[in-house]
Amino acid sequence: MASRLARTAVGAARLRPSVVPRVLPALSTVASPRYSSGVPSEDPKTKAQSIIDSLPGSNLMSKTAILSSAAGLSIYALSNEYYVVNEETVVAFCLLSVWGGLIKFGGPLYKKWADEQSDKIKNILNSARADHTQAVKTRIGDVKQMSGVIDITKTLFAVSKETAKLEAEAYELEQRTALAAEAKTVLDSWVRYESQVKQRQQKELAQTVIAKVQKELENPKVLKQILEQSVADVEKIVSKA
Amino acid sequence: MSTLSFNNISTEVLSPLNQFEIRDLLSIDALGNLHISITNIGFYLTIGAFFFLVINLLSINYNRLVSNSWSISQESLYATIHSIVTSQINPRNGQIYFPFIYTLFIFILINNLIGMVPYSFASTSHFVVTFALSFTIVLGATILGFQKHGLEFFSLLVPAGCPLALLPLLVLIEFISYLARNISLGLRLAANILSGHMLLHILAGFTYNIMTSGIIFFFLGLIPLAFIIAFSGLELGIAFIQAQVFVVLTSGYIKDALDLH
Repeated sequence: MASRLARTAVGAARLRPSVVPRVLPALSTVASPRYSSGVPSEDPKTKAQSIIDSLPGSNLMSKTAILSSAAGLSIYALSNEYYVVNEETVVAFCLLSVWGGLIKFGGPLYKKWADEQSDKIKNILNSARADHTQAVKTRIGDVKQMSGVIDITKTLFAVSKETAKLEAEAYELEQRTALAAEAKTVLDSWVRYESQVKQRQQKELAQTVIAKVQKELENPKVLKQILEQSVADVEKIVSKA
Repeated sequence: MSTLSFNNISTEVLSPLNQFEIRDLLSIDALGNLHISITNIGFYLTIGAFFFLVINLLSINYNRLVSNSWSISQESLYATIHSIVTSQINPRNGQIYFPFIYTLFIFILINNLIGMVPYSFASTSHFVVTFALSFTIVLGATILGFQKHGLEFFSLLVPAGCPLALLPLLVLIEFISYLARNISLGLRLAANILSGHMLLHILAGFTYNIMTSGIIFFFLGLIPLAFIIAFSGLELGIAFIQAQVFVVLTSGYIKDALDLH
């Protein structure tokens, strides 16, 4: 038995150098991608530290004290039947698991959503404030442009005063012109009337004279006198010639 | 709670109905026969009211303009109930019933959720609470209907286009249906919460017995335990859904009283 073991051991020792270099690299090449590619391996120290950090307490001493006192209290409560483990414990565990899960997984999601809502409200308020500030600034700029409004108003007032004065003068002149035109029209009408009267009188005079002359011409004595006068004039002209 | 004695070992067997037992927490016998007591249901309803007050105080957020997380939760609840009220009753006339419906929803929800806290008491699993609510609501809706329509309110019991011959029978059926609202509204809420809690305790009892039977059974018991945890999550959902169903039906009853179908 012992010799067989020794032979096996020798055989194993003889085999080992030939197997190890050939097999191990092959195993390592097969194993390494499987263990390294999937879940990233966590450093045990970090994992341990995270577990310690998750315990209540600020340092290692307080954590130990809290843990040991919690354990002591639990044992005391259980041993004195202040707390009895029974069906209620199972219900409590299940309900606490649900509440814990809800707080752990739902809490951050709700917090994120609530923060988004809050940020949305904040953004709306901030943009409204910015818009209002901009509107006030624009208004200030608009008002600033009207800073010389007093001088301009005074000038405008003076101009308007002068305009009113000129308008009054112009109106006066217009009235005068109208009056003169009216007088001229009246005078012209008088002149026309007078000339018409004069024409009529001259016409009447001429007609009277013509009528008188024609009447005189009807008188033979007058005709004879005219004829004699005419003959005398002709003779006179001829004698001169 | 029954007690079994066996060879000087006393074992208490928890009944699933123990959790619903109403007990006096504090009682004073004064002035002869006057018995003043604070029962566990009264105590937990008071806790609910206090919890509601605290949530509201937190939601006020020192009157700041931008909401905090508490305010946003209240605002989203407000928006949800508001949409229920406007869609179920009336977008315009239903608004005045919103404070009542909102308070009802919050009352039921908070008391349902308090019932989900370990070692607490589910007030809404008691028919005395839910029937008080449902009877008051249906009676209030009926008074509202009479106030608004007078005797014409009885036309609610006459289905539209009903043949004259069938009218007495249908009016009787509708009347019974209307009276059944008193029961169904309260029964639905209490039965859901009661059955959920009872089932949880029955399953927990089985699982406890499995897990305490041996080390292998302890690990085997983890399977039903996972199921109970899932069922507890479902109960949490039921707490919300039942509160919503209650207010949706209440809004429907108010709408019936206002519009007569």
